[in-house]
Amino acid sequence: MAAVCVLGGNTLLDFTVIVFVLGFAHAVQSEVDDVTTELYSVEGRVFPPDSHVTSNWQVSTRVFMNGGDFVGFLKEDGTFTINNVPSGSYVVEVAHADYAYEPVRVEINSKGKYRARKVNYIQTSQVLQVPYPLKMKPLKRFRYFQVREQWRVTDFLFSPMVLMMILPLLLIMILPKMMNDPETRKVREQVFLSDLQICRDSGVKSMFPSALSSVPNANVPQISILQ
Amino acid sequence: MSSFRRQSYVGKLKFAHLDAASTIKKVFVATEENVVAALNLKSGHILWRHVLEKAEQGEIQFMGGGDDDIVTVSGRNFVVVRTWDAHSGYLNSEWTVTQTSNSRLIDMKWFLLQKQLFQVVPVARSHITITAYNMSAGTRLSSHDIPAPWIAEGSRCVLAVPYLACLEAAEQEVFLHSVSLTGVDVQTKSLSAVLGETKADVTLETVGGSQPAVALATVGSPKKHVLLLKADGFTLFPQQLSVASKLCITLNEKSSIIIEALFIEGWLKLSGYETDTGMELSDLAGKSKYPTGLGEGSVAAAVCSPRKDKGRGCHILLATDDHAIALIFHPGKILWVREEALASVAAVDSLDLPVSDTDAAIEKEFDHKESEYAGFLGMFLHRLASQMLQLRALLLTILGLGEPPSAGQRAGLVRDEFGLHKMIVVASSAGKIFGIDNLSGEIIWQQRLENVKPYVDQAVGKNQVPFFVQRTARHFPSPAQCALLLKHKVTGEGVLFVFNPITGQPLADPDGLIRLGYKVKQSLLLHESNKESLRGILLLDNEDNLHVYPESTQSVVVSVAATTFIFTVDPDTGVLVGYSLALSTKQKLIASRVWEIKLTQGSQHITAAVSKNSIEKVHSQGRVLGDRSVLYKYINPNLVAVLTQGYDPVHKQFLNIYLIDAVSGSVVFSISHKRAREPVHIIHSENWLLYSYFSDKSRRTEIVTLELYEGKVQSNTTAFSSVAAPLQPIVDRQAYILPGMIESMTETITEKGITSKHILVALANGGILEIPWVFVDPRRPITVTPEMREEGVIPYMPELPMPSESIINYNQTVQRVKGIHTTPSGLESTCLVFVYGLDLFYTRVAPSKTFDLLKEDFDHFLITAVLLGLLVTSYITKKLASRKALKQAWK
Repeated sequence: MAAVCVLGGNTLLDFTVIVFVLGFAHAVQSEVDDVTTELYSVEGRVFPPDSHVTSNWQVSTRVFMNGGDFVGFLKEDGTFTINNVPSGSYVVEVAHADYAYEPVRVEINSKGKYRARKVNYIQTSQVLQVPYPLKMKPLKRFRYFQVREQWRVTDFLFSPMVLMMILPLLLIMILPKMMNDPETRKVREQVFLSDLQICRDSGVKSMFPSALSSVPNANVPQISILQ
Repeated sequence: MSSFRRQSYVGKLKFAHLDAASTIKKVFVATEENVVAALNLKSGHILWRHVLEKAEQGEIQFMGGGDDDIVTVSGRNFVVVRTWDAHSGYLNSEWTVTQTSNSRLIDMKWFLLQKQLFQVVPVARSHITITAYNMSAGTRLSSHDIPAPWIAEGSRCVLAVPYLACLEAAEQEVFLHSVSLTGVDVQTKSLSAVLGETKADVTLETVGGSQPAVALATVGSPKKHVLLLKADGFTLFPQQLSVASKLCITLNEKSSIIIEALFIEGWLKLSGYETDTGMELSDLAGKSKYPTGLGEGSVAAAVCSPRKDKGRGCHILLATDDHAIALIFHPGKILWVREEALASVAAVDSLDLPVSDTDAAIEKEFDHKESEYAGFLGMFLHRLASQMLQLRALLLTILGLGEPPSAGQRAGLVRDEFGLHKMIVVASSAGKIFGIDNLSGEIIWQQRLENVKPYVDQAVGKNQVPFFVQRTARHFPSPAQCALLLKHKVTGEGVLFVFNPITGQPLADPDGLIRLGYKVKQSLLLHESNKESLRGILLLDNEDNLHVYPESTQSVVVSVAATTFIFTVDPDTGVLVGYSLALSTKQKLIASRVWEIKLTQGSQHITAAVSKNSIEKVHSQGRVLGDRSVLYKYINPNLVAVLTQGYDPVHKQFLNIYLIDAVSGSVVFSISHKRAREPVHIIHSENWLLYSYFSDKSRRTEIVTLELYEGKVQSNTTAFSSVAAPLQPIVDRQAYILPGMIESMTETITEKGITSKHILVALANGGILEIPWVFVDPRRPITVTPEMREEGVIPYMPELPMPSESIINYNQTVQRVKGIHTTPSGLESTCLVFVYGLDLFYTRVAPSKTFDLLKEDFDHFLITAVLLGLLVTSYITKKLASRKALKQAWK
């Protein structure tokens, strides 16, 4: 058979799968279903966020179990009941667009006993019991947005652009002034001379002589950059 | 940035109740999407909305309105009754009905009368059980049986509160039984007086509204009779109405009115009759233009009230065939239309808009066939001619005589510099197609298709409409062309709808619909285009014959036949079949079977087959490791991930994932998970596969990632071959816990694939979470070694974080997400995201931040000031320096 090459990145094959099935029935059943047919209800109360005084928070808050398989709705006082629940283990979540609520795991055994505990997805056997009927309290307000950086004078001054502008200015204007100041010059020369002495004593040929010679005309090469 | 963020919908109307009495007039609706909502009567906006349980469990059986309460009865197997506060929308009470028998529950009927909820259960050949409940407390008030030995399994019974009307066809005659549901009376009357001697079948329908009435018609007759039910039987409404008319009865002061709506060729004819006398009311007669985009509808509810000046006005709520809800104020106009077809989106694509008129004029210069203007001189002449035309157009525009701008130009529908402005084309399961402006969210165009329905992927019960972009708007002057594959409502044969995605105009005669005349098994879009820049669609029918649309692309198919392969999946039998086109000749296209795999046995079924996005580009070929060597990615464009699910007594629910090369049919990799069940979502991209499932053992959602690598050497640096080198990739794998339930998942996609990929996850709580790929990277090490740190991977943590900053739709929560569509923009950094489900949501994301865009708050003033400052200082210092040099020289 001839070798068939399909270029990477330019797919020659485009598969759009149209699936044809006739009378597919889900033979798979939930594990919970075949244990018992007795139905229970999960009860609890959602507390409104204190600062949240907008009306109708009951309408904008949803209570659901197992990702929406079972849902509960809030009454005016915030209580809810989730009906027709078979025994099993469920995670009850409260969804509000602006406030976070902590989810709770509710377990109903086959005898109809309830237990509510904190959700721990990593250590699933760890039990930290919470009271049942559930009391769902708002944890915090969601922070959906990162705080935009504020404009501050210090930020501006230390920004690379400004530093880039100011440092050369300093080098150009102030350094030559310092060099030309007679007193500092005298001090410098003395320092250099003593250094030179030390160098000569130790017999090291250093770069200092050349540095010394360039001091009086230090401003010349730098100005030439700007010309 | 844009005004289109979220649009909320309710779904196809099932029950409606008009409240024109309270201060904020409302329409209460219950829909097939298991939604109960209140809409503002004036504007049609949602005042409050509740989404009940999914599928059967939340199926709304009944909705009725009391004075201050709305009652819903939902659930097919377990019935829950809820009453809602009509004004604010919170729950007033909730109670369950303990069912007596399971078998007849579907025929159960409900109605509300004087604050009591009645349950009507007909039992075949025996009796009718009527139970009354207190509406808010759920206590059973009374229950009685009405003997009804005539009631049969398939009896046609309709509810016309407070009667149950049933037809019984005896040998010669047709009887109408009207059962008084509040009393115990059963009135049986022969219909021969009404219908005459007839052998034909009789249809019975209820006429909704304030008075009990039913409409009868013999099949084939052009007229229908309206019977008003009374305690002593029925009286016949004197007028005979057209069979096609839609009726509703409404109260008006003391008497009641029958509202009749009739659709005649683009016109809506409304009339009103007094029920007692049959007299036509002149002030309610009227004809108005009906929007072409809307299908015919039925009257869901109507309310009439006297107007201030004189006469009366009626609010009529229409529920159309194409799932729209329209409110008409009669006599007058359509107040609002809600396109609820957008709550059942089956296919989405976003397309680039055409170039602006000025750009088009320049494009025209290059628009010529090569043969016409061959040679240097020809080209030169053509250029001169086109520039003369441009000059003329310019002059005409200045003088105000030029051609008016094109419609798209006027509407601002032109391509922008960054390719952020697009047309989102949405095909709904209702057989309606919309073109939506992605920036404003406005519906630009809509097309209603008759007699077609979408394909149903019965393995998951999802509607599918294959969407083909045959030509984009780039090929000026040819218009963009798209095609949708649907099937005929009656025959089930394939139908193609060919249209221009920018204007919505059909591109084939007469209505854009092309009947294929065969059942389509598989379809694919060619990657090569013909001379008109049109890409053909290959269609494989049930007899394995191959077709191509349009015919003009046949030669293209033949030229690429040797390297084109097709595969099909049968979820029921679990068989995958691969076809090759290599045997095709110029006369006939042949698809020959090359390979076949059976993946399932026993109770297993294939529930998904996921290939990679065909427009995806992979920028980096490998990954640089800590020791500076490169680990090359296994990028096989022909790789398909197949998911099978099954049940066995030992492992309970299990799922298998196979990675199959669709060209050679070889299984590259497979993996199995025990005690894992729905919901399963798969993303397949680049060299990785990501899937999620619910682990029954640990009762949590788990995400598994697989990454495929070729190794330290690349087998072929220019192209990937599925046949030449059947190499086994190195597979890295890792599993993570996601603390939430997943409704849908997609990966982001960008123009060139340089930007890193993020995973967009629609969560059950309504948020859309953006997870960077580095968090789900299978190479995240458990023990951190210096090499791994050098490579830039973060240490393994089992639980994925869900920070609220990563929720891209912030507090604009979306519910019942069916899918997320991602599309690249013209900017490499930016990916456009369109989320659909019960709500629509649009936004754009930048996975690697907007590296190619200036920040929105970029300080143009500052940088200008700094630059000017530098310029000025350099000029001054130059002056100063030269002066100083002069002084030095004079010293």
